[in-house]
Amino acid sequence: MSKVWKLAVLLLALSLVLAACGGGGDNAQGATSTGSSQNGSSSSSPSSDGKDAVELTAWAWNVNVGALNEAIAMYQKDHPHVSLKVEDIGRLDVYDKLSTGLAAGGAGLPDIVLVEDDRIHGYLDAFPNGFANLSELGFDEYAHLFPDFKKGLTSLDGVFYAFPFDSGPTGMFYRRDLFEQAGVDPEAIETWDDFFAAAQDIKKATGAYAFPADKFKDDANFRMMMNQLGVYYFDENGNIDFNNPKVVQALSMLKKFGDADLVKDVNGWDGTVSATIDGSVATIPFGAWYYGTIIDQAKDTEGKWGVFLLPAFEKGGNRAANLGGSSWMIPASSKNKEEAYKFMLYFSTTPEVQIMAMEKYGLFPSLSTAYDSPLFESEVPFFGGQKIWQLFTDEMPDIPTPYYTKDYAIAMDEAVKAQADIFNGRDPAEALAEAAERLAGRTGREVNRY
Amino acid sequence: MRTKAHVPYLFLTPAIVLFAVFTVYPIVYSFLLSFQTSVGGEMAFAGLANYRRLAGDDIFLKALANTFILLAVQVPVMLTLALVLASLLHSVQRGRGFFRVSFFMPAVTSLVAYSIVFSILLAGDGVINQLLQALGLKGVPWLSHPVWAKVALMLAMTWRWTGYNMIIYLAAMQNIPEHLYEAASLDGAGKIRQFFSVTIPQLKPIILFTAILSTIGTLQLFDEPYTLTKGGPSDATLTIGMYLYQTGFRYFDFGYASTLAYVIVVLIAGLSFIQFRLTGRE
Repeated sequence: MSKVWKLAVLLLALSLVLAACGGGGDNAQGATSTGSSQNGSSSSSPSSDGKDAVELTAWAWNVNVGALNEAIAMYQKDHPHVSLKVEDIGRLDVYDKLSTGLAAGGAGLPDIVLVEDDRIHGYLDAFPNGFANLSELGFDEYAHLFPDFKKGLTSLDGVFYAFPFDSGPTGMFYRRDLFEQAGVDPEAIETWDDFFAAAQDIKKATGAYAFPADKFKDDANFRMMMNQLGVYYFDENGNIDFNNPKVVQALSMLKKFGDADLVKDVNGWDGTVSATIDGSVATIPFGAWYYGTIIDQAKDTEGKWGVFLLPAFEKGGNRAANLGGSSWMIPASSKNKEEAYKFMLYFSTTPEVQIMAMEKYGLFPSLSTAYDSPLFESEVPFFGGQKIWQLFTDEMPDIPTPYYTKDYAIAMDEAVKAQADIFNGRDPAEALAEAAERLAGRTGREVNRY
Repeated sequence: MRTKAHVPYLFLTPAIVLFAVFTVYPIVYSFLLSFQTSVGGEMAFAGLANYRRLAGDDIFLKALANTFILLAVQVPVMLTLALVLASLLHSVQRGRGFFRVSFFMPAVTSLVAYSIVFSILLAGDGVINQLLQALGLKGVPWLSHPVWAKVALMLAMTWRWTGYNMIIYLAAMQNIPEHLYEAASLDGAGKIRQFFSVTIPQLKPIILFTAILSTIGTLQLFDEPYTLTKGGPSDATLTIGMYLYQTGFRYFDFGYASTLAYVIVVLIAGLSFIQFRLTGRE
């Protein structure tokens, strides 16, 4: 009999082990460890500065991984007891893992996680106790180092939950050769109407479209235009603002370009990058971070690029806007909150770190003290010697604050539908009014009438 | 030597434990979740609120309509095609293996991989439109027009699943006794008459089986619209499966997402029951 029970226990144990493997197996994948190699200490013994060794973990994607790894190496000079293991996980996979981890009460989450700005409020609303309160840890005294719009994105009701990292001051990345071929002077383009006329000349002369858009799945251009006009999906009271004449104006401008067959329909990020490389579009309106993609993916076009600010909607109007950017959050479940906070504070408020991240990885800093670096006045050869960083830096203070809310993701879903409708022939005001009603039904928010 | 009564259960333990942890527990938990809603981050009991919300949810109704359009058009077309292909292959003497493998091949490709390939082929400036334009025809807005996007989705699904159903029919056809065909041809029935009067009646249970499988598959449809169209343009290809995913993992409304999951369960059970009834078998 006892033999049988032994067998039962064994089988049960085996199945539990198998179950555990299934759950946590992929955690180790893609882990890139920067390590304690610098100080040579093993992770369990006290290190040279006399403190117990701490190994932090982080989830990030793409170029952010490299920036984090270099930053920890800089940090370790003064804090040899801290090491960091950065797991390079795809952007959307980070969100999936983060959501499931938070839903499971913080199980399996890292100490540091990268989150795009437009997602922060959604997470904070769904998981109010999911993230460390940075104001409690003392972040408020550093807040003045960051621009207002970035502060709005990383805090909720005056409490900071995320360390501001990169921003996306927008610009029109344009192909100098195509503009020259068509005899268009980018400096002379002040308004969207100017650009509309120029884009027609360019299409005639070169066959290139004005700009790319993932017409039916993403509304990046629309968001830039709204931000530029000082409006967004919601107003400052959280009411749905789709019927705002300025929102209608932005979507109508997109439709004008679409109807004139000046917008190249691309499929997602890959489609945008292909259009960038093959020269089928004359400009790409995007955040400053697109610099990194251009120099990386379109190496053959060195010197052929330039940047000008988004055209204004009327002469002398605002040309500053922001698109994208991300911030770092510390899950509340972290066992190394204090150490993670100290390192991320160093990362976020040290100009050298931010300059390194921009110089090597094209991540445009939000930290105002970083802009004093000579780098921001340098001429960029890839962009024909233009001082593009100065252009973006000068743009930063003028960026209006967009009112994201917890319902941002749902609002974007409806905005994308409205955009799809206008490219399929609908009237912008009508499409937006319908989207506003649907959004009201989904969120229970008021709709502003004009 | 007799085996003790409890020994078989011991061998079943690992499977039962895994099944309980990864299947039974989620099923029960999501049923409970479907009656809850998030209040300030904590799940709170909300009674039937989530189920009432279904009725007034235009997006859910649209997703439901889309799913049923796909079901009503794509499944019959695919099954008919599979049946025709199977009976053609059944009578082919040479190169049987080659044809079988060719038609079955799509069924072994990954859902995401084939959807991505289709999205590239069907893109506005993709190969298919370039081909159409080379022939002097107009390009088709495959992924951007509400109607064409559904057509594109159906094309992709048909490509992926026809071979799979065909193999099932083919296997069943080999079990139809030869004497039935002999008797039919003695009675003067041609090949086509034999197909309708012998093959189809004999395959009835199998056709029912594939119809139920395809119905379940379509009701759960997710990968193809997610990769091809993201549910667009303007929700024209949004399926219930996709809406469930968005609700749960993009908008973190796990309670309502669980409700949607149970709607799918009820629909599958209901439709399968109707199909059994219509074909008149137990």
